Amino acid sequence: MSTIPALSVQFLALVLFCLGLATTLTRRNLFFLLMGVEVMLNAANLSFVGFSRTFSGAASLEGLTIPVFVIALAAAEACVGLAMLILVFRSRESVDSDAYSRMKE
Amino acid sequence: MENLALIYFCLFATISVACASIVLFARHPINAAMALIGLMTSLSGIYAILHAPFLAVLQVLVYAGAIIMLLVFVIMVLNAAKDDHTPRFDALSGVLLLVPAGILAVLVHAFRNHPVTCDPQAVRGTVDLTGQALFNASTGNVVLFEAVGLALLSALVGAVLLAKRNLDSSKENKA
Repeated sequence: MSTIPALSVQFLALVLFCLGLATTLTRRNLFFLLMGVEVMLNAANLSFVGFSRTFSGAASLEGLTIPVFVIALAAAEACVGLAMLILVFRSRESVDSDAYSRMKE
Repeated sequence: MENLALIYFCLFATISVACASIVLFARHPINAAMALIGLMTSLSGIYAILHAPFLAVLQVLVYAGAIIMLLVFVIMVLNAAKDDHTPRFDALSGVLLLVPAGILAVLVHAFRNHPVTCDPQAVRGTVDLTGQALFNASTGNVVLFEAVGLALLSALVGAVLLAKRNLDSSKENKA
């Protein structure tokens, strides 16, 4: 385990987070917004696991408990997010996020 | 043997970055969902290399097995394949790319100034040890565990309510 540098894990998590954030911010398709959020959550989990490996003894297990909660909440988020996506898609028949600007009018 | 772990880490890191790039640039949501499966499984491999086998199994079970399955199901039900006329990016996208680029630059600078190293005394996160840390009364994780259960239940009820309203409105449209 000591052969894998902790810094490279953090750099990988950073690159994945930035790719997920770019997906959420720049894509116009509503599905890609949700997928970008999933990528960002995974990057945060990887960062937690990578940092938990920098502690010794029982403290190295603390960082492994938080991704369990994040995975469970990501399941809840995907469930409600996709239900809302179905709901708004049925009313407007479009997955373009620009089509949902009714509150602006 | 130790070099093998590093080789596997580089392999999984390359696969995961490539899959995340596919999610960013894919035209069809189903291609992006398939790339997400590759991302989840390669991250699971990285968790296994980092001595967290419980999280590796959980990642495949919940993410690749349940969440992406739900996503693919909804993509296929909504038949978003017809939506080829929506452009992938618009003029604002190039400006918005500055935000992740700025975060990347700031955090790379921070990591360069404050290096972290792995501790060889770190405990392997097996199921029983992770479970003991999860239900350790002194850290208060049990309360979090109950709160997550409540959040999952409310998400379940919320999703059913949203879907039910949807069914009612479709009935009214027909009538």
